[in-house]
Amino acid sequence: MNPYQVLGVSETATDAEIKAAYRELAKKYHPDNYAQSPLADLAEEKMKEVNEAYDKICEMRKNPSSTNAYSNSYSNTYSNTSSQYGANYTHSDFPDIRRLIREGRLDDALQLLNGIQGTGRNAEWYFLMGMVYSKKGWSEQAYSYFQTACRMDPTNSEFRSALDNASTRRNYNPSGYNTVSSAGCSMCDICAGVMCANCCCECLGGRGCC
Amino acid sequence: MFGYITIDKSEMLVKDYEAYKAVYCTLCKQLGKDYSVFSRFILNYDCTFYALTALALSDDCPGFCSSRCRFNPFKKCNYLKNDTKALSLAAALTVVTFYYKLVDNIADGSFFEKLLCYIILPYASSWKKLAKKKYPEIDAIVKEMSDSQFEVEKDEQCLIDKAAEPTALMLARVMELLEDDPQKRRVHHNFGYFLGKWIYLLDAVNDFESDKKHKLFNPYIIKYGDSKKEHIDEIRQSLDNCLSEALLSYRLMDIKRFDRIMENVLYYGLTKRQKEVLENKEK
Repeated sequence: MNPYQVLGVSETATDAEIKAAYRELAKKYHPDNYAQSPLADLAEEKMKEVNEAYDKICEMRKNPSSTNAYSNSYSNTYSNTSSQYGANYTHSDFPDIRRLIREGRLDDALQLLNGIQGTGRNAEWYFLMGMVYSKKGWSEQAYSYFQTACRMDPTNSEFRSALDNASTRRNYNPSGYNTVSSAGCSMCDICAGVMCANCCCECLGGRGCC
Repeated sequence: MFGYITIDKSEMLVKDYEAYKAVYCTLCKQLGKDYSVFSRFILNYDCTFYALTALALSDDCPGFCSSRCRFNPFKKCNYLKNDTKALSLAAALTVVTFYYKLVDNIADGSFFEKLLCYIILPYASSWKKLAKKKYPEIDAIVKEMSDSQFEVEKDEQCLIDKAAEPTALMLARVMELLEDDPQKRRVHHNFGYFLGKWIYLLDAVNDFESDKKHKLFNPYIIKYGDSKKEHIDEIRQSLDNCLSEALLSYRLMDIKRFDRIMENVLYYGLTKRQKEVLENKEK
């Protein structure tokens, strides 16, 4: 596929424009956004496509004679950090369940998890419950399980990042503009403004207006 | 379907608004053509959005033309020129969801509501039969939603996620119909799932007071008890979460046109609607 099309820019675009388009896309498809999402793998693929397209354009522009040369030597600024999710733990009490979750066999994983009773339900158990529910789309349940996991083991970075990701998604403001009405000029602001102006008038020797 | 998925006109370019209106008017016309003149009255925004999504994903451009509106002969409206599957699918979805909504109202409505529903039911039922002949899968999907919703409401300790599941799955499956590739179907499934969940939850917030009065099923009453004022932030977060997930899925879809309209809905239309419902009740 044409790398320019992947980035959504024309072939005559300047280097700066290309970089901006790449940044925009990289921000959109960054693996951190899709952590714990059932679509994480597809976002990762997309990210790879964007990275490759950008590398290819850079290579083509740097070295115009070899338009078809393709080098992967560029170090990508946005690497796939979360592809190792669930794989970067050093020790796990439930390796089988983690494998099931990775393979997408959520119902089997849930059954095994529910079979664990009493003291077996440690912080990791709550974390894995959260993972299963998160992949199922039951985000309310997932959120409360992640919260419990973090409360039981506040030092674990894996649990913490899962909770942070879930919390980020609980605030939606894609347009970047603040939808809280009080941020604008509310009636209160107007009243306060008038009162201040009135005080100023009085200070300057006027009689104020009320 | 409840008509929550709308655009925010003030954030739109005029040309996009015209295009959106053309989709709306064409769906109205399609209802008249496929079912009956009276079925045009049940046209709603959710199904218009479904038609819009289907058109945004389809390979060929529909094209526009203008002709007179059936309801106001002095007005000229824009319509889509080509007959596409997107619109007949959306029309079928409109009548099928309407039928099951009526059946649901008969089950737990007040006396007058029931009476009214019984009067309309024969018409709705005949439209549904026509739609079922054309698209049996749509009827099957909506029927399953209606049945499992009935099951879910028996649970007195019902979790929010569980209560929203039938509606979420319904929209997930109708969105899946728009795609054949299994990987892309997953994206569509997720997109529909969270939009459906959002619709269900927002409707639950909207009906909170009346459900409390009539002692009807409402997942937020189960979770927060009689007062939702103190929990309004948590409620907002649960709704926001659905929108975030839907947006993540949207970004992985192959949108071929109408992207500005779709983004208007996702960025402004939905948040505006959500704010209206939440603030109305905060007072």
